Amino acid sequence: MMNKKQKKRLAVIITALVILAAAAFCEHFTEISSLYLTVPYFISYLIVGFGTLAKAIKNIFRGQVFDENFLMAIATVGAIALGEMMEANAVMIFYQIGELFESCAVDKSRRSISALMDIRPDYANVLRDGEEIKVDPYDVKAGEIIIVRPGEKIPMDGRIVEGLTSLDTAALTGEAEPRSAEAGDDVISGCINMTGVVRVEVTKEFEESTVSKILDLVENAASKKANVEKFITKFAAVYTPIVCLAAALTAILPPLVVPGEVFAVWIYRALTFLVISCPCALVISIPLSFFGGVGGASKLGILVKGSNYLEILARTETVVTDKTGTITTGTFDVEEIKAESVYTSEELLDFAAYSESYSHHPISLSIVNAYDKEIDSTRIKSVNEIAGRGVCAEIKLSDAGRMSEGKLDNAEYNTDTADRSQDKVITVHAGNAKLMNDIGINNVPVLEKTTVYIAVNRSFAGYITFADKIKSDAADTVKKLKLLGVKNVVMLTGDKKETANKVAAAVGIDEVRAELLPQDKVTETEKILAGKNPKKSVVFVGDGINDAPVLARADIGVAMGGLGSDAAIEAADVVIMTDEPSKLAAAIGIAKKTAAIARQNVIFALGVKFAVLVLAAFGYAHMWAAIFADVGVAVLAILNSIRALNVSKFQ
Amino acid sequence: MKKNFKLENLDCANCAAKMETAINKLEGVSANISFMTSRLTLEADDSVFEAAVEAAQKAINKVEPDCLIVR
Repeated sequence: MMNKKQKKRLAVIITALVILAAAAFCEHFTEISSLYLTVPYFISYLIVGFGTLAKAIKNIFRGQVFDENFLMAIATVGAIALGEMMEANAVMIFYQIGELFESCAVDKSRRSISALMDIRPDYANVLRDGEEIKVDPYDVKAGEIIIVRPGEKIPMDGRIVEGLTSLDTAALTGEAEPRSAEAGDDVISGCINMTGVVRVEVTKEFEESTVSKILDLVENAASKKANVEKFITKFAAVYTPIVCLAAALTAILPPLVVPGEVFAVWIYRALTFLVISCPCALVISIPLSFFGGVGGASKLGILVKGSNYLEILARTETVVTDKTGTITTGTFDVEEIKAESVYTSEELLDFAAYSESYSHHPISLSIVNAYDKEIDSTRIKSVNEIAGRGVCAEIKLSDAGRMSEGKLDNAEYNTDTADRSQDKVITVHAGNAKLMNDIGINNVPVLEKTTVYIAVNRSFAGYITFADKIKSDAADTVKKLKLLGVKNVVMLTGDKKETANKVAAAVGIDEVRAELLPQDKVTETEKILAGKNPKKSVVFVGDGINDAPVLARADIGVAMGGLGSDAAIEAADVVIMTDEPSKLAAAIGIAKKTAAIARQNVIFALGVKFAVLVLAAFGYAHMWAAIFADVGVAVLAILNSIRALNVSKFQ
Repeated sequence: MKKNFKLENLDCANCAAKMETAINKLEGVSANISFMTSRLTLEADDSVFEAAVEAAQKAINKVEPDCLIVR
């Protein structure tokens, strides 16, 4: 997997190695005078080191003194001058091997990330004047019809007008399960069309489409540098000159000051310093770790907008979460059906479902969902919505005739006797306590929950209560957050206290602040921010709807359900493409791992370099050790960085 | 105006850092180089943007002669 340039470098290294080995063999096992052997040693040095020497000279003329070419050139030329031919060769060859390896490793991680981000569509098949033409995605306008075949990427956001298919959203969400889509459904660019041919009406032009926004975000992520990265760049800028100065002093001072010390020994030690002074291992391994972390997160459908956010996320102390849409799905589940004695709860649900079947209110939808049977529209005689109250509907009784006439008589059923034998029609009122009051029912039970009261023929028949549905992975998320060292999970909600407490208890949330207005959420977040440990961070996670101010105010704003929501993508620092809260735990886990890898690299690289510096100063470290400190550490740090890309354990 | 350019033949991480510092020293130009993505983000006034890219290229070549801003 090497490119041309890298292959050429490899060939150069091998050639030099062969000559060097032959020369070394002759020196040890033949009688050839070592004077003659200087020639092959010198040749192999020139072969492997020519590029470095040439660059070093050119750079001096351009005023770039302390670059690594220069340092390596001085060190090896110095070694040759001291008669250490073998040493000079070895250092140069190792240096080249290290450089080659470094360039391969960087390429590899660049490639694996660009493969992850392989969501950019190359073309779009647009239908113009009845003909299908292949065009650049940029050239398609909103309102045009595009055709997407199986195996192709959906080039821009739109709505299916014809066809049925399933979509692979893995590149966007990390979700393996394909999503089915048919005419009328919205589709998002970047998904891969798997099974059927679909015609899509473009709703957003390419530049406004999800895929462009995501690519833009990922490409810009690397420009927001982490603090460690900034630190190490600054450090490198002073490190090299300081070590070079130390080298100069080492070469000159001891032989002058201490009697009996010879220049040759100290110059050799000084040259060893120069080899160690290269900063590249440090400078490369830090951004590589964060790059891997950002890439790894995007594999799971978590978009991190910059390395710096990964760093802050790793120090999360408090997670502040929104309730609806984050911990709960925002849809309602029927919790309890309480029928008056004359009805069964099935009957009550039947009445409610039929009277609410025309409404689009979330509560109505969940009643119909809970009913879970086909609605036979011929049974509905009339429906009246009463704003702020509920509905009033006339419904025929079900054919199954579960309800005995006796029951209805008990309920003071009173209608035209001619109809009674065939179509028994009842009047159902379904709604809040006010609606019950309006029809003369005053003593309904008062409940601290979302409740729908039902009356049949103006007499109370029972009620249905609802609970906000808690997401299946919510409790697990809180547990995982705790394991990741999050001290406090706080839920902010506009809901009633009792509902909020119930949800919090079910999920394991530590603290609840309920009955908040939207602006209160910002104030509460500010209070939490004021009380935090300054070295730690406060993360806010919400669904991106109406919480942009809080997303911006927290140390890190995480928006969920980013797929298809532009506002969320723009307002947040981290975007979770799906609506699973467990991805937040994954994001913090990845951030911690990445930060740890970056830290290991800094400590390891600095530690080894410093140790070798000290050893070299006392004459215990050869140039060999020095070249290991430079190249070996770079290679190990790079390999360590690549671990950040592996996120399988967070899935 | 802010624009993102690809860099060709960007070979070493430390060079990238040096280039970034050099470009940021230019009057009215702010730059960011990511070694990993091999990209340069350049921000300068619209009226002088072309000149700024030119100057950035010069600053880059001072560090690494082969490195090219892809325009």
